[in-house]
Formats: sequence, C-alpha cells, structure tokens
Amino acid sequence: MNAWLLAAAVLIGAGLLPAGVIGSRGDAVARLVGLELAAVVATVVLMLLSQAAGQSSYLIVPMVLVVLSFAGTLVFTRLLAAPPPGEPARREQDPQ
Amino acid sequence: MSAAVLASRVLLGVGVAIICGSALGALAFRHSQNRLHYITPMTTIGAPMVGLALAIENSWGETTAQILLTVFLLAVTGPVLESATGRLIAQREGWIPRRSPR
Repeated sequence: MNAWLLAAAVLIGAGLLPAGVIGSRGDAVARLVGLELAAVVATVVLMLLSQAAGQSSYLIVPMVLVVLSFAGTLVFTRLLAAPPPGEPARREQDPQ
Repeated sequence: MSAAVLASRVLLGVGVAIICGSALGALAFRHSQNRLHYITPMTTIGAPMVGLALAIENSWGETTAQILLTVFLLAVTGPVLESATGRLIAQREGWIPRRSPR
C-alpha cells in the first residue's frame, strides 16, 4: 500500500463516513450539507485513487464531479427554498 | 527521500488531516448553520494541499494541470455553495425575509 492509497483509505474512513452520517440524518437542508461535504471528500479521494492506480486519464472523473456537484447543489438550494408569504407552495402549482 | 518527495508527503498528510478534521468537526455540531462552516476549510485549504502534493509528485505536465484545475474549481465553488446554502438556511429559519432575491 503506497502513501496515496493510504491517504484515500483514511479519507474514506474519517471523511466520507462522517459526511455520509450527516447526509443521512435530519431535515432536507441538513442532508444537503452532508451531500456537499461528501462531494468534496469524494473529489479528493478520486484524485488520490487515480494517482495510486497510475492512471492519469481517471482524473477526468473528479473534475466532472466538481462541476456537477456545484450545479446540483445550487439546484437543491433553489428547490428547497420555502415560497415567500402569500405565494402557494410549488407542489400546489403543479397541475394534477 | 528527496526534498520534493518529503514536501509532497507532508502536504498530503496535512491536507488529509484538515479534510478529516473538518468532516469530524462538522459531525460534532447539531445545527446545519454551524456544520456549513467546515466546507470552506476543506475546499480552500485541505484539497489544494492534496492537489499540491500530487502536483509535486507528478512534476509539470498535463496531469498536474488537470489536478490543479480540479482543486482550483473546488476552491472557487466551495465558498459559493456555502453562501448559497447559508442563505437557504437563513430563509427557512426566518433570519432573513423570504422575499430576498433568489
């Protein structure tokens, strides 16, 4: 086991696991914070695994993950925002 | 062990420690607003240190450019996400008006 693999293993145990616990408890916003933490740790883990495997082509995966998690989290913040007073909730606007 | 390898390992160790410390620190708090503060140290200090360690190991080249671009994107987008989520929490808790621009 080289240093990169060891660092990835430590990050999975002490970084991704706490983020997963945060992301699986509480209300939607609490879980969103867990998702953000998990995305950051997963990006670093994927970079380290790419280095450990000696495959630089794998680096495209963490790079795409950064961009997609950014867009995805912004969409979640938009969807989870409560409607202003006087406006119906989004669910009520949907045609049945 | 050369100076470059030593610097790479030190940066890797410190970066991993910062990321793990931030994740465990976030777990120690109950409210999402407090947990949110741990995202920025991960993205702007921890991840760039790991990226720098990888860059030193790989020396100049396409691989290093891709690693540095990834950690740069992480460092730029992290605070934006944190402020967007913080605003969402403030709106839901009633700390700011819900009619604030969105």
